[in-house]
Amino acid sequence: MFLVLATAGILIAAADINPFYTDPYKLEYPDYFGNRISIPADNPTTKQGVYLGRMLFYETKLSSSKTISCASCHQQKLAFADSKAFSSGINDMPTKRNSMSLSNLLWVRNFFWDGRAKGLEQQATFPLNDPHEMGNYLEQAVKDLQRTKEYPPLFKAAFGTTEITVDRLTKAIAQFERTLISANAPYDKYLRGEYKPTPEELNGMELFMNSPVPSKNSRGANCAQCHGTPKMYMELFHNNGLDSIPKDIGREEITGMENDRGRFRVATLRNIELTAPYMHDGRFKTLEEVLDHYNEHILSSRTLSLSLQDRSNVEKGKTLGLTAQEKSNIISFLKMLTDTDFVNDPRFANPHLKKVK
Amino acid sequence: MKKNIFALTLLLSMFFTTFSTTLWAQKATKEAAVKVEGEVLKTLSLTLSDLAKLPHVEAIMKDRDGQLQHYSGVPVFEILKQAGVTLGKELKGENLTKYMLVRSSDGYEVVFSLAELDPVFTNRVIILADQKDGKPLADRVGPFRLVVPDENRPARSVLEVSNLIIRFAKE
Ligand code: HEC
Ligand code: HEC
Repeated sequence: MFLVLATAGILIAAADINPFYTDPYKLEYPDYFGNRISIPADNPTTKQGVYLGRMLFYETKLSSSKTISCASCHQQKLAFADSKAFSSGINDMPTKRNSMSLSNLLWVRNFFWDGRAKGLEQQATFPLNDPHEMGNYLEQAVKDLQRTKEYPPLFKAAFGTTEITVDRLTKAIAQFERTLISANAPYDKYLRGEYKPTPEELNGMELFMNSPVPSKNSRGANCAQCHGTPKMYMELFHNNGLDSIPKDIGREEITGMENDRGRFRVATLRNIELTAPYMHDGRFKTLEEVLDHYNEHILSSRTLSLSLQDRSNVEKGKTLGLTAQEKSNIISFLKMLTDTDFVNDPRFANPHLKKVK
Repeated sequence: MKKNIFALTLLLSMFFTTFSTTLWAQKATKEAAVKVEGEVLKTLSLTLSDLAKLPHVEAIMKDRDGQLQHYSGVPVFEILKQAGVTLGKELKGENLTKYMLVRSSDGYEVVFSLAELDPVFTNRVIILADQKDGKPLADRVGPFRLVVPDENRPARSVLEVSNLIIRFAKE
């Protein structure tokens, strides 16, 4: 008897909840990216969620000063990076590291330069709670949004009720970020057989992909060892020889392991032309400086990656030994990774602007 | 007065000892260990001294330049048995769809099917090495590396092994 009543109770409770419908958002990407993607089971990507996430990504109300949004440091025209060595957050406080370009995050599992955040949902809480970035305003921001006219219906459309919570807010932002797929650069067109690279680009591509073997007269720069695959990204942590004694110890801070000293995540090179300055501390202003680093200035230390030692185009050489022309060809290839469709895609643009105008 | 000075020195020295211990504690780094986890009965975390207690065998592999290299370490099979992984008589049916994901501390990952590791299936012995030519492994190679004999490329002989993760292949 009790059981029957209980079941009836559940049925009534179930009938009480308004059924709500969301439309799945189709994430489109080339087959050559592979399907090792991360979407948590409790946060499927939906059109409603993505739209809400996009509104929130560009929402300055999420910061204590009401002036900073995610997009302050992640600007679409710069492939969602910014142009500073260290970004400024609340009261122009500089961030500890260089802002990262946001593209193809669907394939990333450990976020930030040191991999400290697992998953985009968790990642989003970091800038929101950071006193320097957005002023640790998240709890209050949720209350502020609840009082607006526009947000409660958007949350209802995405999550079924008008209630705004930290969990829902970060889920929506993560959904939007998953849609930031960059796969229409000249390099993609080349992979699809729709673009014929110049001789410089082609030589740069070969150098980028190959390891140097001087005995066989085969020249290379060995970049793909770390930055390889068509995604131009592999989830690896390496010390790429920036410092002998690093000021920022990178991944060691997270793992506590000495062999992680000065290791940082291998960054994606997609849209790299747009995301200067380079490296976790923005120390290089141009790609020319980056190539000079790899070719001539690798600094030795106990954790320097093996892939950057004793690799040379000269027999028994200590440095990579690329010519000026070869370095410039590699840069030509890197510029093939600039996806102008991505940085101009209206689906990723600030949705608040339309209303103002 | 004397008493006061004494108390003050005591206080100061207490302050400095705590201060220096916390400093020290921050500097102290974790001991490297290999974690065995996933579809296991018992999760293991093996340090160098744990591994030293297990029976060692030799294994030989070719390096990038084709030179033979001699390593000593513990068969991966023995380590997985300690963790209660379904090997030997239990390696049949759906258990044959299990794999071992090997992860390096730099994030590099490769897989082996369990059958590749089990002497019931193969005579090749893959080891988790902790020594080369009788010495601990070099920086960036060790403290632990996998040694996979008879492979044309050394790409699965993972350096700086940090995790052995057993999983079911889910289609
Ligand atoms: C004040 C500047 C600033 C603001 C505001 C900011 N970020 Fe960032 N973002 C950074 C910096 C700097 C990093 C790299 C930090 C690090 O690695 O320690 C980063 C890294 C990231 C990453 C990691 C990318 C990767 O490949 O691992 C994601 C994702 C991200 N931000 C999303 C967001 C979102 C979402 C917001 C808004 C909720 C936001 N950011 C607000 C500066 C900012
Ligand atoms: C051993 C692995 C490794 C190799 C080989 C390697 N890189 Fe890197 N690369 C990294 C790591 C790690 C970072 C991030 C380092 C940091 O910021 O501290 C990086 C960063 C970069 C950046 C800056 C990315 C950004 O968003 O700021 C560029 C550009 C780059 N690499 C290009 C190259 C080129 C060109 C080559 C070949 C000449 C190359 N890399 C070879 C590991 C590698």
